[in-house]
Amino acid sequence: MSNFSAAFKKSTSAGRPAFMPFLVAGDPDYNTGLAMFKAIVPYADMLEIGFPYSDPLADGPTIQAADERALRSGIDTDKVFSLISEIRSFFKGPISVLVYANLVYQYGIDNFYKQAAKSGIDGVLIPDVPHEESELFVKAAKKHKVSPVFMITQTTTDARLKKILQQAEGYLYLVSVLGVTGSRGSLGKETFDFIKRVKKQTTLPLALGFGISSKEHIDNAAKAGIDGVIVGSAIIKILEANLSNPVQAAKETEAFIKELV
Amino acid sequence: MKNKERKGYFGDFGGQYVPETLMSPLEELEKAYLKLSKDTRFKKEVSYWLTNFVGRPTPLYYAKQLTAKTGGAKIYLKREDLTHTGAHKINNALGQALLAKHMGKKRLIAETGAGQHGVATATVAAALGMECIVYMGSVDIERQQPNVQRMKLLGAQVVPVNAGSKTLKDAINEAIRDWVTNIKSSHYLIGSVLGPHPYPTIVRDFQKIIGEEARKQIKQQEGRLPDYLVACVGGGSNSIGLFYDFLKEKKIKIIGVEAGGISIKSGKHAARFAGGRPGILHGTFSYVLQDKYGQITETHSISAGLDYPSIGPEHADLYRSKLVEYTHVTDEEALKAFMLLARTEGIIPALESSHAVAHAVKMAKKLPKNEIIIVNLSGRGDKDLAQAIYHIEKMKL
Ligand SMILES: Cc1ncc(COP(=O)(O)O)c(C=O)c1O
Repeated sequence: MSNFSAAFKKSTSAGRPAFMPFLVAGDPDYNTGLAMFKAIVPYADMLEIGFPYSDPLADGPTIQAADERALRSGIDTDKVFSLISEIRSFFKGPISVLVYANLVYQYGIDNFYKQAAKSGIDGVLIPDVPHEESELFVKAAKKHKVSPVFMITQTTTDARLKKILQQAEGYLYLVSVLGVTGSRGSLGKETFDFIKRVKKQTTLPLALGFGISSKEHIDNAAKAGIDGVIVGSAIIKILEANLSNPVQAAKETEAFIKELV
Repeated sequence: MKNKERKGYFGDFGGQYVPETLMSPLEELEKAYLKLSKDTRFKKEVSYWLTNFVGRPTPLYYAKQLTAKTGGAKIYLKREDLTHTGAHKINNALGQALLAKHMGKKRLIAETGAGQHGVATATVAAALGMECIVYMGSVDIERQQPNVQRMKLLGAQVVPVNAGSKTLKDAINEAIRDWVTNIKSSHYLIGSVLGPHPYPTIVRDFQKIIGEEARKQIKQQEGRLPDYLVACVGGGSNSIGLFYDFLKEKKIKIIGVEAGGISIKSGKHAARFAGGRPGILHGTFSYVLQDKYGQITETHSISAGLDYPSIGPEHADLYRSKLVEYTHVTDEEALKAFMLLARTEGIIPALESSHAVAHAVKMAKKLPKNEIIIVNLSGRGDKDLAQAIYHIEKMKL
C-alpha cells in the first residue's frame, strides 16, 4: 500500500477527511520555516510543501508573498530538498510537493524526481503542466516511484477527467473554485456538485484545496464526499501577520489548526 | 521539450503549460478561431475594420534622407506608427476582440508593457462596446504615463501591478490570474505571440498582414523583393508580422533585434537569445532569462515593450533553425536612433522601434547602395517623449 492510501484509509476510518496543511518551503527563511513544520505536523495526516517560485501564476497574493519571502532569504531547489529530508526525519505521513514546471525542467526532469524520491517525497504536483504536456514528467515520476498528482477543476470535462485518471496516482487535487489560491468566505453549491461528480468516476482519494479556511468548509466538503482537505493561504496568513515573532506564529497556527481538525 | 505529437508546437517550442482551469477555455478559443478564420463573413468584418478604423494599408516609406545620411543600402520604413492608436498592436487587438465578441465574451482582459497594447485593446473595446481591464506593472505606469491616461479616457480600468519586477512579466501573471477567475465572461487578449497555444498562432495570423502588404508595396516601388528585413523583438509580434510572409524567401536575410539594455555582460538587458536558455514561462516553452534553478530573472530595457524575459516560441524555433538571425541593440544606441530618425525624416519612433532603426542604420552603412532594407517601424514615439528626453539629457547624447 502506498503511503497515500494508508494515510487516507486511516482518516476515513476515523470518520473525517485527511488534513493536509500547505506551507511554502523556507518561508520566511529556512529555520523559521522548519519550526513551522514542526508546529503543524502533530495535526497533519499529510503535508503539502510548495517550492517557492518567482512567477507563481496559479497562486493568489498570500502565497505569492510567501514565495517572495522564501526566495529573498536565499532558498533554492537544493535547499528545499534538504529541508524536506529534515522534515522526513520527524514526519512519517505522505509528503506531496507543489512545484512549477520551470523549476523541474531546469533541475533536469529525471534528476528532479530522483532527488524527490531520495528526499522522501511521495507525490509531485505541477500546477502548470496539464496532462497533455505531462508525458516526460510522468515517465520520470514512475521511474523513481513518486506519485504524479494532478489537479482537476470545475472546468475539467468528463472526457478530460478520464485521461487524467489514466496518469494520476496518490490522490486527485480538486480545485474548489475558479480562480487562484487564497482563503475565501464560503464554498458554493458548485463545489459540492463538483466533488460528487468526480467521486462517481474514480476510487482515487479526492483532496480539496484553494480557499479552504474554516471548519464549516471542511465539514461541508466531507458531507459531499471529500477524502482530504488542503489548507494553505489561511495558515500562511497567520505566519505573515507574525513575521517578527516566529514563536507566536507557530502558537497561533497551532490554535487555528486545532479548530479545524 | 520533445513532445512532437502535441499540438501547438513550433519545432521543440510552444505548448500549453497552464493550470488545468485554462485548458477548456483554450480549447474553446482554438475551436472558435479555427472556425472563424475560415469564415468569409468574419474575414470581411476584420478587413472592414482594418481599412476603416485602423487605417490599413500602412505606407511603405522610402527614408531618403536617412539613407543619404547613412550612405549605404536603401532603407524603407513600414509605417505601423501610422495606424490608429499608433502601433501595430491594434491589428491583433482588433482581430481578437472581434473573435471574442463572436464567442459571446463581454469583457476583455489585457496586459501591457509600453501601454500600446493596452491602448489598442481599450480602443477596440470602446468601439465594440465591450468592458476592458488592463494590467500594467507600476514601473511601466510610471514610464508610459500618456498611454495610461489614454486608456482611462477610453473607459478601461487600469490596474497597477506591484509584484516582482513590476513590468510586463508581472502584468501577464496578473492577467492570467484574472482570466482563471473569470473564464466564463472574459477573453484574455494577449498582446504578443506569447502564451499557450493557440495564442502564438492567432496573434501571428492577425499580424502577418504587415509583411503581406510590404511585399506588394516593395514590388510596386522597387520592382523586386528586399534583401533584408529588420524588426525589434519584445514578445515578437511586430517582427513575426513582418517576417512571416517572407520566411520562404531563402535569399532574404531576416534579423530580429532584442533589447541589449546597458550591456549583455552587466546582466541588465532583455536579450533572450544572448543571455537565456530554453524554459517555461507564461504557458509556453521558449527561450527564457532565468537563474541556474529556473527562477525568472529581472530584465532591463529603456523600452517597456521589449522589457520581457521570454520570447514567442515561434521565434525560438526560427532561431534554432537559423531562418532568422537575432541580435541586440543597447539603450544608448536606441536613443541615438530615436533622435536620428526624428531629425532626418521628421518621424519620432517608439523606443521599441528605435532598436530596429538603430540596427538597420548600422547594417546599411556596410552595404552597397543598390540593396534594400525594410525596417518595421512598429510604433510612434509620443508615449516615450518624457522618458527619452530624460535619458538623452542624462547620457548627454
Ligand atoms: C511600438 C511597439 N513595438 C514593439 C513592441 C514589442 O512587442 P512585439 O515584439 O510583440 O512586437 C511593442 C510592445 O509594447 C510596442 O509598443
